[in-house]
Amino acid sequence: MRRIGRNVAAALFCLVWIFPVYWMVLTAFKPAGKILQPTPQFLPVDITLDNFADALAKPGFAHDLANSVVVVVAVVALSIVVAFLAATALTRFRFFGRRSFLIGVLVLQMVPVPALVIPLFLGLKSAHLLDTLFGLILTYVALVLPFTIWTLRGFLHGIPVELEEAAMVDGATRARVMRSVLLPLVLPGLIATSVFAFITAWNDFLFAYVIMKDSSGYTLPVWLVSFSTSTGTDYGGLIAASTLFALPVVIFFALVQRHLVEGMTAGAVKG
Amino acid sequence: MLLEKAPPDAPPRPATPRRRRSLLPYGLLLPATVLLGLVLGYPLVRLVVISTQRYGLRSLFTGTTTFAGWDNYAAVLGDDQLLPVLARSVGFCTALVLGTLVIGFGVALLLQRLGRGMRTAVTLCLIAAWALPNVASTLVWQWLFQPGYGVVNWLLTQVGFGDLTQHDWTTSPASAFTLVWLLVVWQSVPFVALTLYAGLSQIPRSYYEAAALDGAGPWRVHRTITFPFLQPILGLVTILSVIWDFTVFNQIWILTQGGPNDGTTTLGIWTFTRTFSGNDFGQGAAIAVVSVALLVGMTAVYVRRLVRSGEDL
Repeated sequence: MRRIGRNVAAALFCLVWIFPVYWMVLTAFKPAGKILQPTPQFLPVDITLDNFADALAKPGFAHDLANSVVVVVAVVALSIVVAFLAATALTRFRFFGRRSFLIGVLVLQMVPVPALVIPLFLGLKSAHLLDTLFGLILTYVALVLPFTIWTLRGFLHGIPVELEEAAMVDGATRARVMRSVLLPLVLPGLIATSVFAFITAWNDFLFAYVIMKDSSGYTLPVWLVSFSTSTGTDYGGLIAASTLFALPVVIFFALVQRHLVEGMTAGAVKG
Repeated sequence: MLLEKAPPDAPPRPATPRRRRSLLPYGLLLPATVLLGLVLGYPLVRLVVISTQRYGLRSLFTGTTTFAGWDNYAAVLGDDQLLPVLARSVGFCTALVLGTLVIGFGVALLLQRLGRGMRTAVTLCLIAAWALPNVASTLVWQWLFQPGYGVVNWLLTQVGFGDLTQHDWTTSPASAFTLVWLLVVWQSVPFVALTLYAGLSQIPRSYYEAAALDGAGPWRVHRTITFPFLQPILGLVTILSVIWDFTVFNQIWILTQGGPNDGTTTLGIWTFTRTFSGNDFGQGAAIAVVSVALLVGMTAVYVRRLVRSGEDL
């Protein structure tokens, strides 16, 4: 009896939680005439790819997609290298200031991001980086660093130092040890953190909205929002574009969701 | 630490490489420190500085500012909007955190007790909601609740709430907040539920078995086993929820822009409009400083524990 109750509760929960996603995908595949219907259609009857074609043909979409890709690739590459170096220092050396650095990183992670908008805007302005993809990239790299450093540190912590020592005894240089011993072992961690960096940079709306004033520098989230306010009625194209925009995130997310939970809780479980 | 030791049969090392080696960690940390300092640390300091300056449209072009002392704070604290904005922000944040935690905890308990198939189904639904980028889900929300063709209005009408098909959720502050609340809770429950579930699954089964043998009821079991074990994770989840929910911006901005009649203007929205629509960077920064101070106040206990636990980092 209790078992049935639980399963019913779980099924209801699933229904409510998945519905917005289901409705998004369903709308994206509906033919134009079936979208604005007084009585909604809940099952996929006629399926069409028109809305996607429509979205891809919208002015700016391809261009802003390219901007997003450039930004994301740069952010992932930069943040991974910087965080890997930092995590190595934090787990393989004992030095003055190590603890303060770690606590500083933790505290920075608690800073409410919207509070940084004004000074970042002015700082980027005086550095002549406003309206440039480079300025946006630097911003995102710093935003993801606390989390990436913290998570990579956790991964490196779990790798026994003896492995590196053995390689050094065999005459490998420190750079070589990092490259051919540490790097392969820490690969899962690198994948998890790069997905996190990817998602942050790909999804961000606020900073892109403030930093990129000229429409030539829009990234996809800004394009989506400006598109929704300027037309208002073309839900087919808009929802199809949202679906395309969400697709890579959902895929990557499913792959690393466990590591994200681990990384976020790593700081707390010890307390 | 072990790396600092020379292999036993190596000849004594000259002094120079040794010193260089002790600088290596600093070199490795340099890029991260520079970036964090420039993009997170410096702006925080700058934020406080700007909040004491007269920083308007003219300063933006000329780059010159004048010292304003406490003027911006006085203006913000004396503003008629302050109290309603504060009440809205705190109230809305509380409603969000409570909703997220209660539902999230319930789902975590449910996950723990479900069979494998159903558990996978729930997890997949959670991940789908969590993964949807927040701009995309906000636009989907607009579409779900759209006056005229929104499916939620249609469903509510069918269930018997009267004819709601033309209802526009953004015309009154209460229903606009409800709209945003549903969206934010929908998006935040997955992280809370999965994290708490991860915590729950670390509690040894034998504790529960012993409690069952002693004839403890379900409430007592939770009070004496579940909550004490879960406390650190529960604390983290609460604090992160407070930070995230207090600073919700995108969802409100895209759905209501703070309207109707500033009825959904929270501190974040107020900072933004004061700064970028009102072109008063000084006052905007003052509002931001006030909100950071509030947030720090709310999370101080936790931060203190964090710094203490740094002992064994």
